[in-house]
Amino acid sequence: MKGNWFFPNLWRFLSLLAVQGLVLSGISYNTDGYVSLLLYPLFILLLPILMPIPLVVLAGFLIGLSVDFFTGTLGLHASAGAFSGYARAIILDRFAPQGGYTGKEPIASPAYFGWRWFLSVAGIFFAVHLLWYFSMAYFTPVYFFNKILPQAALSWLSTMPVVTVLMRLFYPKN
Amino acid sequence: MYSLVQLFVRHGGLITLVVTQVISFHLMTSQNSPQQEIARLSWSWYSNWALEWRNRWLDYLSLRDENIRLKMENARLHTQLTNLRASEIPTRDTVRWQGATDSLGKKLIRPEYVVISARVVGNTLSGRNNWLILNRGAKDGISPNSGVISRSGVVGIVRDVSEHFSLAMSVLHPQTKISAMVKGYPFYGSLYWDEKDPRFLTLSDIPYHLPIHRGDTVQVSNYSLIFPEGHPAGIVDTAYRLQGSPFLYIRVRPTQPPASVREVYIVTNRYADELENLTRAMQAEQ
Repeated sequence: MKGNWFFPNLWRFLSLLAVQGLVLSGISYNTDGYVSLLLYPLFILLLPILMPIPLVVLAGFLIGLSVDFFTGTLGLHASAGAFSGYARAIILDRFAPQGGYTGKEPIASPAYFGWRWFLSVAGIFFAVHLLWYFSMAYFTPVYFFNKILPQAALSWLSTMPVVTVLMRLFYPKN
Repeated sequence: MYSLVQLFVRHGGLITLVVTQVISFHLMTSQNSPQQEIARLSWSWYSNWALEWRNRWLDYLSLRDENIRLKMENARLHTQLTNLRASEIPTRDTVRWQGATDSLGKKLIRPEYVVISARVVGNTLSGRNNWLILNRGAKDGISPNSGVISRSGVVGIVRDVSEHFSLAMSVLHPQTKISAMVKGYPFYGSLYWDEKDPRFLTLSDIPYHLPIHRGDTVQVSNYSLIFPEGHPAGIVDTAYRLQGSPFLYIRVRPTQPPASVREVYIVTNRYADELENLTRAMQAEQ
């Protein structure tokens, strides 16, 4: 990891937290929770690729917990954030280029890996995050097929275009 | 300490995940009412489930004790049954109630048998003289000349007793002779093995005029000093008159096959010695 990684991530942390906590959580309320636009996991996905996994898990936990303070669902986003932090390592490992990650590509951005690669990684990453989030929200496997799975799918369909637009707009490089 | 550090280096991600998930779960179930309610219900469901499995296991583990208890119960019931059979003898005469006493005030009906459950731990089948070893001995109250029966038939006669085990002559021993009769006919004979085919016993001394057929039941006679009267012994396989003999040759298939005997009861007639002495005295007089 190079020295200039901290501030871009801090900036992403604060802005995504603000957007999620102040704007997007309102959408969730208006749609009776059926569609949730969750953008804060983008912060976890864009953490430095070579960052140690425990730190990624902790960062995911922290941003999730911060979102929880806004939404009044203490522990729910924290659990999903930490889980996504761990899942990110596995997904990135599966999509590693030949010879592995060298540090020349500091973050999992389309600027380095192309859109096709990014959308595949982000698609799986957000699917995992949303599935875990709704599983924790309902907290019982009873609703898996009639609530958890459809809500996760709808939320994924509404989140992915916004993620794509944001990445197209900012096109982050570190 | 070093190994702890090594563990964290290798599985740090997973450990952090577990720790953060535990914290999250705690927060969720303590701060959010829907999750709190579901967790409470789930906990009671899982604890009930675990409790049920625990009880099932305990039931399963106690089967052995239950088995022993049932055997003891069986032995007790057999004792009652054999004594009840014995008590029927006087009622055939004039006494019609169990508490009947004679003119001196003595009871006419006395418990005659003691029944103790046992297991066959050794069994020979291939020799001329075949034996059984039982896991009960003198300490359990077994004495020589006790009968060995199973639920379905006669098994043998106890010959020697050690402290914890006893040695019994199998029905496949030429010296084992059982006073038996064909059910329904008031004639008794001797049931023994003729040392030929181990699948069959021979019932001798039954008069030739009796219409005995294949399938008739052979049971212990009321003159047996060793076995309880009426206990099944075998099924008639063939019966025919021997040339020039006043008796029938009856081949009997034992109801308890000697090869498959496992759980048995040792039956001791409390008055066997007394009866034996009287029989000897009678024979001496003749």
